[in-house]
Amino acid sequence: MATVKQLPASGASAQAAPRTNAPSNHRRRRRWLGLAYLAPALAVYGFVVLVPAIQGVWLSFYHWNGITAASWAGLANYLGFLQDPALRQAIEHTVFFIVFFSVLPITLGLASAALTARKDVKGAAVYRWVIFLPQVLTPAVTAVMWKRVYAPDGPINSVLRALGLDSLAHGWLGDYDWALPALGIAGTWAAFGLCMVLFVAGTQAIPAELYDAARVDGAGPIREFRTVTLPGLRGQLAIAVTLTVLGAIRVFDIVWLTTRGGPGTSTITPTVVMYQRAFANPDVGAASAIGVVLALVSLLIALVVVRLSEDGNR
Amino acid sequence: MISTREKIFNYAFLTLLAVSVLFPIVYILGVAISPSTSGTLDLAHPQWSNFATAWQQAGFARYLRSSVIITGTVVGVSTVLAVMSGYAFGVLGVVGEKALFPLMLLGIMIPMESIIVPLYYDFLAFDLTDGYQGIILAHIGTGVSFGAFWMRAAFRTMPAGIAESAELDGAGSWTRLWRIYLPISRPAILTFVVLSFMWTWNDYFLSLILVADPAHQPLTLGLGTFSGRHLVQVNLLAAAAVLMSLPIVGLYLFFQRQFIRGMLSGALKG
Repeated sequence: MATVKQLPASGASAQAAPRTNAPSNHRRRRRWLGLAYLAPALAVYGFVVLVPAIQGVWLSFYHWNGITAASWAGLANYLGFLQDPALRQAIEHTVFFIVFFSVLPITLGLASAALTARKDVKGAAVYRWVIFLPQVLTPAVTAVMWKRVYAPDGPINSVLRALGLDSLAHGWLGDYDWALPALGIAGTWAAFGLCMVLFVAGTQAIPAELYDAARVDGAGPIREFRTVTLPGLRGQLAIAVTLTVLGAIRVFDIVWLTTRGGPGTSTITPTVVMYQRAFANPDVGAASAIGVVLALVSLLIALVVVRLSEDGNR
Repeated sequence: MISTREKIFNYAFLTLLAVSVLFPIVYILGVAISPSTSGTLDLAHPQWSNFATAWQQAGFARYLRSSVIITGTVVGVSTVLAVMSGYAFGVLGVVGEKALFPLMLLGIMIPMESIIVPLYYDFLAFDLTDGYQGIILAHIGTGVSFGAFWMRAAFRTMPAGIAESAELDGAGSWTRLWRIYLPISRPAILTFVVLSFMWTWNDYFLSLILVADPAHQPLTLGLGTFSGRHLVQVNLLAAAAVLMSLPIVGLYLFFQRQFIRGMLSGALKG
């Protein structure tokens, strides 16, 4: 409360001096006060995020089963990325998932943004509401839904049988070859609403004159997209790439709730391997190493994309 | 300037996308009211009692209670922390800000999957894995970065003049926050509340690992257990899934703009 009493005097001097170079007593006190306001959040953040992040790095250099004493492992847990077949397969699946979680949703989002750019599409709000809906649904519910859709007696197979393609009908999620793309499509379904809304909002910020000029110049839809829409969406594109690629490398819920990584290891992902290593037959060091690599890759992607999009703005 | 053909193509494309999004949702709604336990669609004989049966068999009331307690506490505490830390970063300034702000931002970029293993063993050591405290703490901790970032941006857009004159009148930092900054930033706070609610309510991963005791598990885990036990009663499982989505879809109906705006501008949560 002492601060409040002294405010009139110091406030007046701060007002008289230029704002930039007035490291007055008052401002310094304000910054300590700021730290006090921040302290509770910082404490929780430190306990839940920072400390475990450091511990994770430390644990990743040990062999530990979670109970008995840990032993030094050196880089063994990291070499697992090269040697462990399950982990290697998981990384391959991640690349596969990036196509379905990132490339396809972004393509669909761009297409819909280009089609609706600057045009009065009646009922646009309704389309947007519907297409964004999967973002809101709980992954647990999404999983129940897609399990049903892909079931041996589910709607996809009913349609195939109705078309006389009985030979193609099977349990999609139980199939070694089809489970992964089937989950990929579920991922596209869940992700493209966000991409679309992001891009449609972005096109609305593009000046209408640019579109008019392109039309006057005789540009068709494709050249208009290339010269007006795409450059205007650079920032949104950066956000979409970051979000969806990170989503693809982190994917856990939908896989765990539908296939548990199976059949066999045909849909296994790095986070599923991590979960199994950490809790099923604990190899905490190996699980931690996966976590560390996940964090590094995520940071790298975020930094690269931010840098790229900023270069474009300058 | 735009040809009719192009317009028709627009609508056809958007409708196709909307239909493919809606198809699984509508299908599961249909299964939920079908009498057949094998999950065969039968809309001719809607059996609305499926919802009540699923509610009872899944022990919905218990899971719902857990979800409400966890989500309510997390949203409340997170909002207070977000406002306070956003006020610190955006208005007051913080000692050591050059180091502390990037440190906080790190929390948005590191996925929570990366910290979950050590966090689990820490919580185990502190005996936090059985009740509500652990999961609540974990949700707050993983959301705090985004909150600080979000509210800092909101407070920064405000003209400094109003608060400065209040300061000259002798208003303390708490009074200024409460009387001036909070009322103006209500839309940003509402968006944060909506996002925080959605992330907590929908969470499966953190709860799966950090809540061992079934009595304290939220709905998302309850649905998982239910689907394990009721492989044969697909219609009840579908009904349970529909019931579970109702609160969040209802909220989405009311706060559509907050959901979309929040996801668009601050979507980088870890």
